[in-house]
Amino acid sequence: MVNKKVSKKDIAKLLEQWGQQFIVFAPSRESGVAAFAEWDGKDTGFLDWYRNTVVPPKASFLPPMEEMFHFQKGEEGYSIEPSAGEENKRLLFGVRPCDARAMAIVDMTFKDAYEDPYYLSKRKNALLVGMGCTNPCESCFCTSMGVSPAESADVDLMFTDIGDEFLIEEVTDRGKELIAKTKGLKEMNKGDEAKAKQSKKTAYDRVTRKLDTEGIKDRLLASFDDQEYWEKVAAKCISCGICTLLCPTCYCFDINDELVKQEGTRFRSWDSCGFPLYSKMPMENPRQEKWRRVRQKVCHKYEFYPMTFNVIACTGCGRCIRLCPVNWDITRVIESVPNKTGVKK
Amino acid sequence: MEQKLRQEAKALLEQNKVDWIIGFEPGSLKFAATPLITKDKNDTERLIINPFIFNNLADFLTSLEGRVGIVAKGCDSRSIISLIQDNKLAREDLVIIAVPCPGLIDLAKIEQLVGKDRDELDDITREGDKVIVKIEGKKKEFSTIQTLFDHCLACELPTPQEYDILLGEVRPPALELEVSGRNINKLKETSPAERWKFWESELSRCIRCYACRNVCPACFCQRCFVEETEPQWVMPMPRWQDNLIFQIVRNIHVAGRCTDCGECERACPVNIPLRSLTREMYNMVDELFQFKSGMDKEALPLMAHYEQEEAEDLFR
Repeated sequence: MVNKKVSKKDIAKLLEQWGQQFIVFAPSRESGVAAFAEWDGKDTGFLDWYRNTVVPPKASFLPPMEEMFHFQKGEEGYSIEPSAGEENKRLLFGVRPCDARAMAIVDMTFKDAYEDPYYLSKRKNALLVGMGCTNPCESCFCTSMGVSPAESADVDLMFTDIGDEFLIEEVTDRGKELIAKTKGLKEMNKGDEAKAKQSKKTAYDRVTRKLDTEGIKDRLLASFDDQEYWEKVAAKCISCGICTLLCPTCYCFDINDELVKQEGTRFRSWDSCGFPLYSKMPMENPRQEKWRRVRQKVCHKYEFYPMTFNVIACTGCGRCIRLCPVNWDITRVIESVPNKTGVKK
Repeated sequence: MEQKLRQEAKALLEQNKVDWIIGFEPGSLKFAATPLITKDKNDTERLIINPFIFNNLADFLTSLEGRVGIVAKGCDSRSIISLIQDNKLAREDLVIIAVPCPGLIDLAKIEQLVGKDRDELDDITREGDKVIVKIEGKKKEFSTIQTLFDHCLACELPTPQEYDILLGEVRPPALELEVSGRNINKLKETSPAERWKFWESELSRCIRCYACRNVCPACFCQRCFVEETEPQWVMPMPRWQDNLIFQIVRNIHVAGRCTDCGECERACPVNIPLRSLTREMYNMVDELFQFKSGMDKEALPLMAHYEQEEAEDLFR
């Protein structure tokens, strides 16, 4: 439901207000790379430069590294002390619809048979405020993945750019509650909804990269053993971790203990199936060859995730295309998967 | 030049002189080329040369079996020579197709200059010493000094010295050392404490994707020290201190092999100015040992070579 709006020049005041209740995160380039960072209390410059962040907002819930617990060896064995829990409520301002959808996709794994307390403790308390795109990148293909660049059901509130103002859509009850308590918002005019509609359509039409995923799960299943195909696809991949670590739906992590004498800390940190070490086991590495690792990455998103959760684990954010040092392009790969299913594509 | 390249590459495959061709084909983004690694002679029709052929193609050589025809800019050729010096490649297994390189256009610099992202630009073209950027129908003109990669501005070998096929005319070295070394010199003027802080801040955002290592032809170890688990030299998580150890050790490992191709810095997704480390190492190798990597295939690798006068008291 839409009934409120806010001027772009009043965004700082709005975030300040919300900052009394939440730790507000917003797009920032302060660290040297575009990422969500704790809002500094004044800068709204991101409204001008922000198209999307390099580091996806998943980093707010599954950080590149985090402490799990400390442990100590005493006379009666080990004692464990949990690392400080995440009590603070976070508000992420400006999440793009592709990334919001990605969060919902990652939730499926962390809320599955095993509930991951590290992720969920941060995620459960957080409020996502979405912001529709007006200027999608040439690498974006969200519209092919069931995501509209300016609409989202995966956030609590959705902001739509209508020129000098944003329309505010209350998507969830939590979003509605927050808006009820928020002061200084303006009532929507008659013409605003038409403007928002136009803004959404313009954004949608600007996403020019298309991908046909019809039957992809079955096509991949049928091509799983086509080594020649996968070797060709993997030839130029350099096995770095950019496309996975910075993918908003990739969630793999590694666990390591750091020991100093009788005590230590257990950490977890981002890991990538592109790395040979990822699948290394004491006796062997089932994915020693690069083509097997590339296949894993593609199939996990477009075959295994659909098999498990009935959804493709890709939202078309385009980071993997934009950031790849060799311009390896997932859309070209998916299109090139042989059609051995006998089913017409 | 592209037509000649396609003919030559096709002929090499047809005449069975090589098993593979490595070159560039059009990328899937506006200003991008992407590596083409193929055994299929029909693919050679797609080979291109443009100001966006960023990758150092020598990176792929050590993973291919058989004879390879490789498109090489000056920097690629130096990496090839360096790999030959290290016995990672045999010269007779290679057909080097030399491309005289006028320097590659740094899209990050263009973005800075025009205040727009690369995909918002209509066109970028090189005309002699000028780079023309077209935005919303309007043309903006910049000099090459403003727009080429820092490492290209100090390129000592734009055209490979060692080649089998030469496309076009040999180009003179680039001599814009001052502009090229601007960032490094600025850093060197700061105190050690300030520099420490600088690198702490820069390396804090490293995500340990290892793109810098994996695009680097000089990083050819079968197993990198960061992946050793017994003993574990460095923690795999991206804590800045561990990131620093990774970069320092990587730099020392590529000393005498790094050809300043600049790929590590370009590949970094979080904008860490890695060339400030690698180029400084390159300069130190030159000053201390009068050694320039990848210039002479007969020369011994830097670290496999010892001269009496290099001895320090400790080792004498």
